[in-house]
Amino acid sequence: MVSEAAPAAVLPAETRAAIEREIAKYPQRRGALLPALHLVQAERGFISREQARALAEIFEIRPIEVMEVVSFYNMFYDRPQGRHHVYVCTNLPCSLRGARQLLGALESHLGVKPGETTKDGRITLGHEECLGACAYAPMLRVDETYYENLDVEQARQIVDRLA
Amino acid sequence: MGLEAPYVTGYLSEHFAEGDYGTLDGYIARGGYEAAKRALTQLTPTQVVDEVKASGLQGRGGAGFPTGQKWSFMPAGRDKPKYLVCNADESEPGSFKDRLLMERAPHLMLEGILIGAFGTGAEKTFVYVRGEYAESARRVQRAIDQATARGLFGANILGTGFRHDVMLMRGAGAYICGEETGLLESLEGKKGQPRKKPPFPAQYGAFGMPTTVNNVETFCHVPHILRRGAAWFKGIGTDKSPGNTIFGVSGHVARPGLYELPLGTKLDTILFEHAGGVPGGRKVKGVIPGGMSMPILPAGMLDVPMANEFLRERKTMLGTGGIMVMDETTCMVRVGCVISYFFRDESCGQCTQCREGTGWMHKVLNRIERGAGNPDDVDLLLDVAGKMEGTTICAFSDAAAWPIQGLLRHFRADFDAHVKLGRCPFPESFAL
Amino acid sequence: MARITIDDQSYDVADGRTVLQALDDLGLLMNGVDVPHYCWHPKLSIDGSCRLCQVEIEGFPKLQIACNTPVKDGMVIRTQNERVKTAREGVMELLLVNHPLDCPICDQAGECKLQDYAYEYGAAHARTREPRRPAKKRVELGPTIVFDQERCILCRRCVRFCREVPGTGELMVQGRGDQSVIETAPGEPLANDYSMNVADICPVGALTTKDFRFKIRVWFLEDVPGVCTGCANGCNVHLGVANNRVYRYVPRRNDAVNETWMCDEGRLSYKRIGGEDRLREPQLRGADGRLVAASFDAAIEEAAARIRRAIDASGPGVVVALASPHATNEDLFTLRRLLEVLGSSSAAGVAVSNGRSDSLLIKAEKAANATGARALGFGAPGPVLDRIRGGGARVLIALGHDVLDPAFGASEELFRSLDTLILLDTHHSALERVAHVVLPARVAAEKLGTLTNFAGRVQKVEPAVEPAHLAYSEGEALLRLARAIGLTLFGGPASEARSEPEASGGIRWEPRSISRAIGAAVPAFAGVDIDSVGAEGLPLRGTGP
Repeated sequence: MVSEAAPAAVLPAETRAAIEREIAKYPQRRGALLPALHLVQAERGFISREQARALAEIFEIRPIEVMEVVSFYNMFYDRPQGRHHVYVCTNLPCSLRGARQLLGALESHLGVKPGETTKDGRITLGHEECLGACAYAPMLRVDETYYENLDVEQARQIVDRLA
Repeated sequence: MGLEAPYVTGYLSEHFAEGDYGTLDGYIARGGYEAAKRALTQLTPTQVVDEVKASGLQGRGGAGFPTGQKWSFMPAGRDKPKYLVCNADESEPGSFKDRLLMERAPHLMLEGILIGAFGTGAEKTFVYVRGEYAESARRVQRAIDQATARGLFGANILGTGFRHDVMLMRGAGAYICGEETGLLESLEGKKGQPRKKPPFPAQYGAFGMPTTVNNVETFCHVPHILRRGAAWFKGIGTDKSPGNTIFGVSGHVARPGLYELPLGTKLDTILFEHAGGVPGGRKVKGVIPGGMSMPILPAGMLDVPMANEFLRERKTMLGTGGIMVMDETTCMVRVGCVISYFFRDESCGQCTQCREGTGWMHKVLNRIERGAGNPDDVDLLLDVAGKMEGTTICAFSDAAAWPIQGLLRHFRADFDAHVKLGRCPFPESFAL
Repeated sequence: MARITIDDQSYDVADGRTVLQALDDLGLLMNGVDVPHYCWHPKLSIDGSCRLCQVEIEGFPKLQIACNTPVKDGMVIRTQNERVKTAREGVMELLLVNHPLDCPICDQAGECKLQDYAYEYGAAHARTREPRRPAKKRVELGPTIVFDQERCILCRRCVRFCREVPGTGELMVQGRGDQSVIETAPGEPLANDYSMNVADICPVGALTTKDFRFKIRVWFLEDVPGVCTGCANGCNVHLGVANNRVYRYVPRRNDAVNETWMCDEGRLSYKRIGGEDRLREPQLRGADGRLVAASFDAAIEEAAARIRRAIDASGPGVVVALASPHATNEDLFTLRRLLEVLGSSSAAGVAVSNGRSDSLLIKAEKAANATGARALGFGAPGPVLDRIRGGGARVLIALGHDVLDPAFGASEELFRSLDTLILLDTHHSALERVAHVVLPARVAAEKLGTLTNFAGRVQKVEPAVEPAHLAYSEGEALLRLARAIGLTLFGGPASEARSEPEASGGIRWEPRSISRAIGAAVPAFAGVDIDSVGAEGLPLRGTGP
């Protein structure tokens, strides 16, 4: 369980300012909710209940409506994650070229199953649907970066480099 | 990294390998934004729309709707703001062409948007990029900033008094946000659940305003059409499906990658002449021609021209041109498991048939795959797929049903073998 | 207007309505034209997700959902052909794939739309062999509702209701696809004044009320139409009756009063009918100052004697009355007649307790017939209380005890100063401590009569249960009292109402005649009586629709 953040730190001032800048771009406030969620999540890797409440105030909706949106999208998390997300695409073109073996190898290497986080909190391993790298399979998405045309050894090296 | 240029280029991608094509100056040096200038300064909006109509350009996002016609659905008046949306949510498995276009030619896309904005009277474009395409988003945002700084977007573009702004929004990981109205919901900060139609986006779209949604690649053809004319465009490809498209080839081929070719190029030509055929001396077993929503074609049916009018005769479609090749080692039941898992995961969950049908099909397919299938399971799958077609809020349910129907149409033997043997009869098949 | 044809019958319907709305407007939906549906509700936004309401419309190649298809002049619709029935079967089968076989333990059984439509449109056997999606069972969603997530068919009516009606929005659909579930936000239960309506609108047993849980099978209940008596709104209800007991209220649709809703407090007010605090026996205060049980006749005789003595000594002006805002129009008209005939009608009023109200259904006046009392001439209680204070009143006939509400500043001491307090009441109160004659009365669920809501709408109540003890409606008791005094209230050739002494010495209480008599005497009630108001009530003349 994550300890409750102090109220002032729930949404730091720069984040609030960045959110307001996003809001200004949209014809209706609520349009900026997804960008705001990305911004909030960038700090601690997930969106806490308190942060959902703070966002609800900013967007003049109910906290439950923020939570509902978080629950719909793959890239938003409502609980703490590892410092890095390592995702193996396991859709068809990637599976045809060994993605599942790659995932299995990383499971063994890291000692976790997809959806789990390593004990040192470094990596949350997962699998994802098609990431648009079908000709460069198998591949990984590590946070915002793609690593393509991998073999198992290369994949191990990539995750080992992650702090 | 792979995404430099297609292995075969054409009018869309001929400059992609030239490093600076992605910058504003590099783009302009190669005639960039000339077509937009001409449109804004010498043509009327109606003329622009008519030119695109005359060209016969069809949407490249998978549905293939005629673009000019879609633009003409936007109401003429000025009483409400009108919007364009560039659907850059490319998530169809097997498709990665929009990624290439955004990373290599963001200005080509933006020029198409500018022309479309002028033609439809839109005042703003939202470019909705799927959340996972971080690099595309970065490059598109940079291009937007450059173009805006240069006066190509904003108020009084090129001194014509025309105003148009472009902004980027990143998605957050949901295939259904590639559906037109699912995208609009997501754009509005909600769950990406597709809307009931009517009303259609041209009447009630983004934030309730008239809106047209077009695919990245669709916009990229527009400057070329305006530059060289509708007649030129109609001369490429087939009668009913003019122009080039960028095919993505993946799976069991020697040279997986992107290929810009005219519509109507035969599928076997693409596979064997361009993509090097199946490696290891193996034979093709099946090919999905247009992204994973499209039914598979068996080896004997690959001499089909890649255009809808021909593909429909073989009970499949062009979709997004994402060609996935499977060789003779492939177990089609496992393919069914991968496909059905995807659709179950990505269903938004609104409509009964889709929500429950995708789950049921996935469970049955998994059971067949691991050897616990019953003889009537295959017919059951067909029946459930049949129930999923035809009346749901959006076409996702159909898209979930078609590939399974395709697999059962051409590869029923694989399924029957699993049931009969109680295990997979393809020891060399890709693993699940 | 648009002329549309449904199953070869033509109808004229309003423009701008959907097919389902048009059927509902015509009163035909599931009542002549069957278009089964889940997610649509006449009083909520259109959802379009259950896909069950598909119908065939000429000119459309695919079946269309009736809930979201606007009618057009000349539209031809078919609701019962093979194609439509096959589509319904498809939806039903898919809904049952993940639905648990809970019928034997589910409260919804017998009034479950999944059962009903599966019976009509479902297959006899389940083809699914797959394990059902596991989800939560028996969740306390809040103080009033039990939630079974496995039974949920995701029609989302509950989510829309909370957002659109009370506006509290405690529910969401969490997740996506077949992992979607209805949820509350952590730490924020489903708790609003109208929460129990979600159990009504849930087509299955996913949302049920704690109050009704496992009490009785609905097929044992008789649904008696009636009116909630919790406040002046008069929400229409069905009383669920079995074994001479009311087990629950559920709202009854009346678009002019409460649409399809009622508040939780009113819904639970059925408990007052059989409550422990019902006044169950007549009582008389003896010479030693203690109240003792007595027979009805003895109590009436004593009351009559006291009234006669007071009038003989000081004239009719010393008799005052306080009407009950909970009694029916017929009861109150009888009181009015009694006072007229006594010559005491100048000092009578009605006291009503007030409480909180809201912008939806809850009204401040916490009684069902305050407006009726006022329309029958009972004004504010101030003058009556002043008369008592001033010593000019010696006898008080009190119906009900609302006057004890602190708002009226009337303490027990004030009433103690009276020579005679005759109390007719349904429930115990402190007023008994100073009463000389106490007579148990019937509640609305035990009588035939009418009640007038805050807007002047007169609505009928009918006897759903008999009290376990001997009780008369206030009107009947007053008729007996009148007779014991030697008065005829409704006699004479001009009036249709009669009080007939029967061989046993009893009185014939005829609320229907009295109801009509009100119309003859009070212009606002002309033509508005028990028999004319129908199931949905009628407005008093001079008030709005």
